[in-house]
Amino acid sequence: MRTLGLIVREALYRKLSFGLGLLGVAAAVALFVFFFTAGEASRRETARLTRNMGLNLRIIPKDTDMDRFWLVGFSDRTMPEDYVHRLAAHSGLNYSHLLPTLKRRMQWRGTEVILVGTLPEMSAVDRQESPMTLAAKPGAAWLGYELARRFGVEKNDTIDLLGKTLTVAGTLPESGSEQDASIFAQLHDVQAMVKTEGAINEIQALNCVCFDTDRDALEVLREQLASALPDAKVLQIRPIADAREKQRRLVEDYLAVIIPFIVVVCAAWLGVLAMMNVRERRCEIGILRALGYGSGTVASLFLGRAAVVGIVGGALGFAVGTALALTYGPQVFKVTGQAIRPMYALLVWSVLAAPAFAGLAAVIPTMLAVTQDPAVTLRDT
Amino acid sequence: MVELQQVSKRFRGRAGEVIALAEVDLHVAPGEFVVVRGPSGSGKTTLLLALGGMLRPTGGKVLVNGVDVYALTERERARFRGENIGFVFQMFHLVPYLTVLENVALAATAGRTSTVWAAAGELLGRLGLSPRERHLPSELSAGERQRVAVSRALLNHPKLVLADEPTGNLDPDNAAEVFEGLAVFHRRGGTVVVVTHGTTADHHANRIVHLRDGRIDGGSGEKRMA
Ligand SMILES: Nc1ncnc2c1ncn2[C@@H]1O[C@H](COP(=O)(O)OP(=O)(O)OP(=O)(O)O)[C@@H](O)[C@H]1O
Ligand SMILES: [Mg+2]
Repeated sequence: MRTLGLIVREALYRKLSFGLGLLGVAAAVALFVFFFTAGEASRRETARLTRNMGLNLRIIPKDTDMDRFWLVGFSDRTMPEDYVHRLAAHSGLNYSHLLPTLKRRMQWRGTEVILVGTLPEMSAVDRQESPMTLAAKPGAAWLGYELARRFGVEKNDTIDLLGKTLTVAGTLPESGSEQDASIFAQLHDVQAMVKTEGAINEIQALNCVCFDTDRDALEVLREQLASALPDAKVLQIRPIADAREKQRRLVEDYLAVIIPFIVVVCAAWLGVLAMMNVRERRCEIGILRALGYGSGTVASLFLGRAAVVGIVGGALGFAVGTALALTYGPQVFKVTGQAIRPMYALLVWSVLAAPAFAGLAAVIPTMLAVTQDPAVTLRDT
Repeated sequence: MVELQQVSKRFRGRAGEVIALAEVDLHVAPGEFVVVRGPSGSGKTTLLLALGGMLRPTGGKVLVNGVDVYALTERERARFRGENIGFVFQMFHLVPYLTVLENVALAATAGRTSTVWAAAGELLGRLGLSPRERHLPSELSAGERQRVAVSRALLNHPKLVLADEPTGNLDPDNAAEVFEGLAVFHRRGGTVVVVTHGTTADHHANRIVHLRDGRIDGGSGEKRMA
């Protein structure tokens, strides 16, 4: 009879012992799969969210009156446009996608609009980045959704603004923010229109998550800005992404503590079960020896059993862990349900790593089974 | 068939040394049916295990079919055992999760599966166990279990069958059936060495050997049967 046949028959016969082994492996694997699947979803969604939210850092003049800033939506002070070059020239910062901006409120066609002047983004010296925002060319403008709708403005129309005629390069989709009531033009056009040449009131930027210290991101950013641009300060507008990131870090810290614990408990659990199995089957080992089976068969019987426990338990654990991630992941990681998708690569890992692990846990019991003196058990005591 | 030359077995334990076998010489001719008797602790089981290549003696030589059993490597010895020797134990030692038929077939460490199943089925039939082929050992009576164990010992057409109190747990009727199974093997030319307290096997025996304190008792210690 084939070894695998014997293993399967024994497993079906000693259901409890086999089931407890499966339970141990499946529980451990399920836990890993749950946290990996949900954690990966969290990471993915945070990245997407940060990108969708656009640039999440606002660098503004230091003496900005913050009450007015929040009321109006931008700083009423200005700083030299050159600041953006100074910041870009600074290496080793966690700022990227630098976007010099000048914002003003003004009346246009009888309504209050926000005029936004920007330039194409600048990259920090040591980074290659793809642009994330649209930039108007000289003489061109982009219209926010609400303005375009209200005044029936379309692409290639011309609009008059503070005595200058601009061609509409396009209209923007609805954003549900002040952007819908904004007009975007090239920075230097806007500077000329509002007569503040060479000045900006904000640098938008993105906090790149290329560092991963335990320190608070904003604290690091502030420190860096203080040395690069002492006259400016930075605001971070990413409350959702931040909360999520914090949550994920929290879970990861927790995992770092609990994973070694789980691994040890699981190994002990499997080891003890394997040991009990060997003890229970001493006579069987003796009779196999008497029938002429060698050490190899005896060893493969017990290691093979561990491998089967690992493979079945690993697959089971993957299924359970994925189901748990789909059900409870959104609560634990504060992500949307759709963000969590089964990670089938983990299935491959589960059915490879779990049997290897179970096999390792069964090494000592197997050695005892192999070295056991069959004459002792066959003595009929 | 079997030749024990000055075979000794000492067990060293914490409580001191036990001499289980003391320089035993024994010759069993091919086709002989030998009954071994002796008081408890006289070394009967030790003798049988040493004979079967399951327990290395501390001294002397064991030749089975002309082969010095303990000069073989562990692997060779296992193989030799599988091919030449069948065991029957007092406690049956059937594998609990395999059916009766599978337990018998388990003795075939190699060979074509179909022939093995057929041979196993035939042996079980001869011992009246055909209707029980698909049962688990736990569903069998003690007598039936021992007949399964006898079938398993005979599957590989061994030259030698060693049985250690095979009827110790059986009533006389069942004991007779088990010995009949061994006797059939013997009549076809097989060699049998059986340890037994009872006398049920005596009329099959060519010879009765008495063991006492690890020695074969009384001069030659052997009583020839007619
Ligand atoms: N592993 C061991 N360690 C120490 N002493 C042992 C060991 N195995 C057997 N003995 C001793 O060797 C002697 C012979 O044992 P053995 O089992 O061969 O006797 P036996 O004739 O089969 O007895 P029984 O009729 O009770 O089965 C006994 O005194 C026993 O206590
Ligand atoms: Mg005994």
